[in-house]
Amino acid sequence: MSFFDAMRFRVEALLHPGRHARETAEEVDFHLDLDAMQAEQEGRGAVSPEEAGYAARRRFGNATYYREETRAMSGIGWLERLGQDLRFALRSFRRAPGFTAIAVATLALGIGANTAIFSAVDALLLRPLPFPRPGRLMSVSLTVPQRGNFPPRDNVNWSWPKFETLRGMQHVFAQTTLWYPEPFTIRHGDQTLRDQGEYTDDGYFPTLGVRPALGRNFTAEEATRYNAGHVALISDALWQRLYDADRRVLGQSVTVNGQLYTIVGVLPPGFEGLSGQALLWLPAMTSSNPRAEAPGPYDHRFLSVARLADGVSPEQAAAVVATLGARIDAAYPDQNGQGWHWGATAKPLDQTRVDPRVRSTLLVLFGAVGLVLLIACANVANLFLARASGRRREIAVRIALGAGRRRLVGQLLTESVLLGVTGGVVGLGLAWAGARGLASLQLSTVLQGNGGVSVGVLGSQAIRLDPWALLFTLALGIVTGIVFGLVPALQATRPSLTEDLKDDGGPASRRFGGLGSRNVLVAAEIALAVVLLAGAGLVLRSLGRRMGVDLGFDATRTLTFRVNRAPEWAPDSITRFYDVAIQRLAELPGVTSAGMTDCPPLVQCAGTLINLMDRPAAAPGTEPQAGVHWVTPGWTQVEHIPLLRGRLLDERDRVGTPMSVLISETAARRWWPGQDPIGKIIGQARTAGGGLDSAFVVGVVGDVRYQGVDSLPGADVYLSYFQVPFYYRMMLFLRTRGDPLALAGPARASMARWAPGFPVYDVRTMEDRVGQSLAYSRLGALLLGLFAAVALGLAAIGTYGVIAYSVAQRTREIGIRVALGASAGDVSSMVVRRGLVLGAIGGGAGLVVALGVTRVLGSLLYEVAPRDPVTLAAILALLGLVVLLASWIPARRAASVPAVEALKS
Amino acid sequence: MPRAPRNATTRTELLRGTLDLLILQTLSLRPLHGYGIAQHIARLSDGTLSVEQGSLYPALERLQARGWVTSKWEPSPTGRRARYYTITRTGRRQLGEEISSLDAALLAINRVLERA
Repeated sequence: MSFFDAMRFRVEALLHPGRHARETAEEVDFHLDLDAMQAEQEGRGAVSPEEAGYAARRRFGNATYYREETRAMSGIGWLERLGQDLRFALRSFRRAPGFTAIAVATLALGIGANTAIFSAVDALLLRPLPFPRPGRLMSVSLTVPQRGNFPPRDNVNWSWPKFETLRGMQHVFAQTTLWYPEPFTIRHGDQTLRDQGEYTDDGYFPTLGVRPALGRNFTAEEATRYNAGHVALISDALWQRLYDADRRVLGQSVTVNGQLYTIVGVLPPGFEGLSGQALLWLPAMTSSNPRAEAPGPYDHRFLSVARLADGVSPEQAAAVVATLGARIDAAYPDQNGQGWHWGATAKPLDQTRVDPRVRSTLLVLFGAVGLVLLIACANVANLFLARASGRRREIAVRIALGAGRRRLVGQLLTESVLLGVTGGVVGLGLAWAGARGLASLQLSTVLQGNGGVSVGVLGSQAIRLDPWALLFTLALGIVTGIVFGLVPALQATRPSLTEDLKDDGGPASRRFGGLGSRNVLVAAEIALAVVLLAGAGLVLRSLGRRMGVDLGFDATRTLTFRVNRAPEWAPDSITRFYDVAIQRLAELPGVTSAGMTDCPPLVQCAGTLINLMDRPAAAPGTEPQAGVHWVTPGWTQVEHIPLLRGRLLDERDRVGTPMSVLISETAARRWWPGQDPIGKIIGQARTAGGGLDSAFVVGVVGDVRYQGVDSLPGADVYLSYFQVPFYYRMMLFLRTRGDPLALAGPARASMARWAPGFPVYDVRTMEDRVGQSLAYSRLGALLLGLFAAVALGLAAIGTYGVIAYSVAQRTREIGIRVALGASAGDVSSMVVRRGLVLGAIGGGAGLVVALGVTRVLGSLLYEVAPRDPVTLAAILALLGLVVLLASWIPARRAASVPAVEALKS
Repeated sequence: MPRAPRNATTRTELLRGTLDLLILQTLSLRPLHGYGIAQHIARLSDGTLSVEQGSLYPALERLQARGWVTSKWEPSPTGRRARYYTITRTGRRQLGEEISSLDAALLAINRVLERA
């Protein structure tokens, strides 16, 4: 019974707060009236009914306070209180739209930027791989020791026979698979696509824990016997696109690289393989080139992923793989016969998800953007402090009327948290744009270009605002609300009633408004801004250094692309094909010259060990090493690589004539210091046969930084592709008169006219490729620079705010000074000095911190020391300038205060 | 500046928690409105126990929220309607418990005082 009474009472109070309040008021009136009447009858001192009423009210005591206490105790009071606080917060924001807009915008900037970077950190570093039990997946690869000039590597691809050896002996993996990504030309009906696919064995889908949604997996026979089955699995996306999601797709055929394959399965929606962009899977042992041979023991093209057997730890598996690596090495020794021993290693797939440089760049950016948010918080806290001193009368009145301090703090915090969350919601727009921008960077592409093995499923295209990012934003909004709201709320409700009730705008406000804490906040802002500026300055200088590096070739006005060759063509017809292609392309209007190479700049390709024929063979392991480039004779000219001595390759260097070779300047200096290299003979070390048996040096050309800006030029040799016709993956180069991209269309059209069915792909300007190779550096510099600029701007606003506030507080004092003879210059220098003191304290603190933390920039730096004094001096100067400006504006206003007015006010 | 005393007249402050007890005891005789309850307590204690009246209504609200008291609007002798409070069955049980625990406490206090 009574339980229901209690519930009814609570629910009614909650549902009808108006009626409840009215009834309470009526009850109190009734009480007061009766009390006054009683007092009158008893003649207790009161003379008039009015005074009796006052007396009754006094006797009644502080009802409000007790009511709030009572409410706080009742179970649903907090909900009601929250509703009140939110309504109150909204009202107070509506009353101060300017303040609200500035606070929300500042927070939106900070939180939005944080969410964007978080989405990248989440996608690239945190998010679990999109496969069942991803923690059990291991990446297995070969290792090679240091070989001459080649550094050791632990991410070497497998050959099929070597992995078969491992597979036969291991017992730590439940499933293993070999795969590699490859771009395919996919044709169905009249549609042709050039898109990413993967070659896989039959263990691929079971290892990843994926089943075809329709049809079946490859059989072991299809997957492992060479050219046994021309079958294909397709992705859900391709199924939708080419087959309109028709379930009768099984058994239909699709043309891949000119060969017919029968579709046997469709993968579930969203599965795009380990490369993260595959549309089609072919059995690893098929080849679209019938003439090609089965992959041999030294054909290292396969990547491997394995799923741990139950009860086996990653460490145990790694130990077993390392042991088996020695057996593989025994079965297939290093071909160079130098006693170099290969090995094998296994790492959790999750660890290989990103290049360490991406990880460190992202973490640096995450830290930086966190600092920006802290500065934003400090700024908003400052706004709140200023506003709190404007509201101190309101708050004092409420304390006097009996509002509890906890209740008031709670209410002020509700305001700030509401502001923080609003900022977060507004910031989502920025976060969305930022995440899209990051996703479009194709970081994984860059990674592959730099020789790392990347699993594209973790590539930047996976960056998006997912529920985690939204949750992160919400949490950030709440936390920032508390962070910037707590100090102002505690200060504002500090009980010192009488003086604040008087509200004379005098000195009391200086104490109450907490100018002390505002100064501390601004100094902290400046310090944080200095840290960010230092980081940004160093990284920007590094980028400048990198961009200033002469790569050795002319990337301007160059269009590059690849052409899909016809795989079944004989070697001599391939040369004919490229020969005609180069001729026709060179004749296009707007093209000044055309050429091609199998090993263009910024693409990792093979190097080889060299024998210098004019001296005894070098001891094994000490042979010189060189990058080998098969080119059309004109390629070095197309790229404006200067000829330093001798002659270029030309029409004379054809099949049947003695081999000619161009060597780079570094090669000439290393191999024949102080001698004329022309006429010397070089050969490939320790291989019988092959194209490079012996070649005459006919010329020396300039150095090229083939591995990109961060590495020095090495020894390179150039050979004419026409002397050893074979299939090379060529990249075509067109030098143009005007905008190179304007020729992309004509080049495509020209190829399509005489070689239909061989799509032109990977069309980009050389400048774009160079730019992409600087993507990390540029990304780091751009974002850090942006964050630092925002930080500096916020710190400037904060400085301006606190100085302007102090000027407003001291108007009367300034008036007195002017009246007593202070000049405008005296006044403004007094104000500016204040700003400079803040700047000096903040800047000094920031410098100390910066000196300690710039080491984390690591690989983002290039030829700039982490404590580069020039950069640090420059940013301190910049900071000084900004602080000076921020305090000069209020100083000028202070100087123009007319004495009379200031004294009167 | 030190806070001014809330009320100039001296009076015995109620022990914390005893207000509820007094209200329940008062209502156990008959339903009353708030003013009546305050008067009753003041009269019976000869003015020694003065309910700080501003805390009376929050206490009544608290008792309602716990289900020990219910209220109804009814006409009063003056003609104006007033809110009359009635003790519930659980309220009575609670009153019994509180009285016995208070008795025990008073007994204990007395013993301590006598021996001191």
